[in-house]
Amino acid sequence: MQIKYDTESFFDEMFDEKGQPRPHYKSFVDRFGELTESEFNRKREAVNLSFLQQGITFTVYGNQESTERIFPFDMVPRIIPDSEWKQMARGLEQRIQALNLFLKDVYHDQKIVKDGVVPAEILNSSKHYRKEIVGLDVPRDIYIHICGTDLIRDDSGQYLVLEDNGRCPSGVSYMIENRQAMKRAFPRFFPKAGVRSVLDYPEKLLTALQYIAPQGKASPTVAVLTPGVYNSAYFEHCFLARQMGVEIVEGRDLVVESDDCVYMRTTEGLKQVDVLYRRIDDDFIDPEVFRKDSLLGVPGLVRAYKKGNIGLANALGTGVADDKVMYCFVPDMIKYYLGEDAILPNVETWLPYRKEDLEYTLENADKLVIKAANEAGGYGMLIGPHATKKEIEEFKAKVKAAPREFIAQTPISLSRHPTYCDEGFGGRHIDLRPYIICGEKTQIIPGGLTRVALKKGSLVVNSSQGGGSKDTWVLYSDE
Amino acid sequence: MLCRVADSLFWMARYIERAENTVRLVDVTLQTLLESEHSPDEDQYKNWSPILASLGDQALFESLYEDKSSSNITDFLIFSRENPSSVLQCISAARENARMIRDQISSEMWEVINRTYLWLKKQDPQKVCVEADYEFFQHIKEFSQLFQGLVDTTFPHQIGFEFVKIGANLERADKTCRILDAKRYMLQDSPAKDDALDNAQWAAILRGCSAHEAYRRVYVADIEGDTVRDFLLRSRDFPRSVLYCLTRTQLALHAISKCPTTHFSNEAERRLGQLIAKLNYANPNDLNGKEAHKLIESIENDLGEIAVQINERYMFSEIVDPAEDLEQAQA
Repeated sequence: MQIKYDTESFFDEMFDEKGQPRPHYKSFVDRFGELTESEFNRKREAVNLSFLQQGITFTVYGNQESTERIFPFDMVPRIIPDSEWKQMARGLEQRIQALNLFLKDVYHDQKIVKDGVVPAEILNSSKHYRKEIVGLDVPRDIYIHICGTDLIRDDSGQYLVLEDNGRCPSGVSYMIENRQAMKRAFPRFFPKAGVRSVLDYPEKLLTALQYIAPQGKASPTVAVLTPGVYNSAYFEHCFLARQMGVEIVEGRDLVVESDDCVYMRTTEGLKQVDVLYRRIDDDFIDPEVFRKDSLLGVPGLVRAYKKGNIGLANALGTGVADDKVMYCFVPDMIKYYLGEDAILPNVETWLPYRKEDLEYTLENADKLVIKAANEAGGYGMLIGPHATKKEIEEFKAKVKAAPREFIAQTPISLSRHPTYCDEGFGGRHIDLRPYIICGEKTQIIPGGLTRVALKKGSLVVNSSQGGGSKDTWVLYSDE
Repeated sequence: MLCRVADSLFWMARYIERAENTVRLVDVTLQTLLESEHSPDEDQYKNWSPILASLGDQALFESLYEDKSSSNITDFLIFSRENPSSVLQCISAARENARMIRDQISSEMWEVINRTYLWLKKQDPQKVCVEADYEFFQHIKEFSQLFQGLVDTTFPHQIGFEFVKIGANLERADKTCRILDAKRYMLQDSPAKDDALDNAQWAAILRGCSAHEAYRRVYVADIEGDTVRDFLLRSRDFPRSVLYCLTRTQLALHAISKCPTTHFSNEAERRLGQLIAKLNYANPNDLNGKEAHKLIESIENDLGEIAVQINERYMFSEIVDPAEDLEQAQA
């Protein structure tokens, strides 16, 4: 099969301006050329069926019955050459170090505020800042143990950070399952020089979790805490628990006893838990402290956490770093804590809480992307150039009413990647979510989840809004 | 093992067993109808009502369907979303339970349940109900058997395995009782005792428990009520007899508690031991004729109580059996 289409004015991952495959795609394009269309379609159907039968699905909540869908998988892999990856990995490592130092600082002395780098008003008005843990020393000073930073590339191919996702980033199971599917479907396509493996992610995760056991306990009991079977990422929670060989627990399986330790209810009685990889947001994790109406959490968990009897990953309170206004200050944090310049730049951003930025945002709303500072999943967003006059006016009113809760960014024409669609191969916009694990050392998993906006021209890659995914190959060499 | 996991293993197994038994009952009844004289729908219902009555589903069926045709009853027992013990609802519930513990069971077990669920949702109820689709029934039965085989061959024979065995065997014992009980509701066409019809009905009951061939190996003579009852209640080697299922449950319970079967360490074990003794040492008079249904009814009650006690000891959760809930609501 031949991949051929007009790359237009976008940065295309596979083809250069002359329409030639870039060096790191060359061997893949050659081999792919030998494949017939019927072979390709047969493999595609086999992969989709196997995802469905294994139940590698997410749940879409609709009008009547919630339905399970597979996350659409595109068989053309995204390939990243070695030197590009190394540069990106350095940038990510620098960023996560700064974020962890920042979180420790804001929950202790707040030097960064006193030194005027981050305005006090921004910190104090941050929705996810948890006063409950001020002054608390978390194990090993690590707040974000698992991070899924979203990266995009602009029309010159420059990588930019879109957001950091320091709470409960999801999607890592797709990274692993996508790789397994590609290895089964196209064993011959993997380049001789080799693709870096992502399959040891679960072991790395387990080691990082064991690292935060209370009092350095030698063989701690680790469990994955899930909101339950109706959560859209439930498959992933189970997947990770099984791969790590630990229990998956729901809030109702756990109890905090009068000794302020956490136990799970087993058929042999209560058994102590030392570390929780929790996939429940702060708001729902302990009804004694946060939302009282939460049925998902564990009453007393925060009490046990404060006593140092349970390790939580990620730590409580990391949401303050996910605030999109705070995101703008990350390059300043890197400078402040590490004395370095940011390797991976942010997207150019305006902060309407500043008077002059508000004016600019309102005047240019039709040319900007405006986002709610504390929403995720592609919700609460205005894409100015694609919006109607009415939508723009409505959004402007919201921004005027609560300028602190919004940011504005120049629209980035995301890079495109050949993707198999109804009309054959076409260029579709993509992003990249690499996964970072912080334990004894910081590890950037060489690969990640490449999400692709399957709808022609669309810039929204979220699974809830018609996105798909690709396997992501990080090569050992540059070609 | 987490209590919630034990609970899900128990119900996953129980629902699959329930689906298989319902399918077998429907299949046998439809086959019987094929061989009976061509009769209007009203007469067909006579063949169905004992089954619905023994399952405790008659009132619900009559409230949902106006037309009491065979195809409506089949729809009710197989596909109805309103009937919590329909095959579709059982398989959905088994799958929900399996999904909650899919990290605990083997991927083979999960995939066969998931595949069957996806397959079942694609079936055309109209076709199955009107055509008495043999392949459809066979598919469900083979699914259940495949599942049990996978439990034996891909799932570690540890404590979780025992909870699966308990779920399946309690359900099986209960269903055997209910099928036996169905005879009580079967009408005689004429007031005078019709031996041929009586025998045919007992034969259908044996087939409903997959016991026809096994029974024949033991009793070569005519099929008679007292021997059928004795066989289905007390056979020591036929795997669907009540006594066999109870003995297997006892083994499982004691494997979990590590208490020898000569003693008991909890209420569930005590009740179960008592019930086994009751069957083992039953007075022949209690097994025969009119007294028999009293014994069967008391076994059904004991089975319910044992499930409650197992739940209290190991699962600490509210026991919710939608079918029983509904019965209570209607009572």
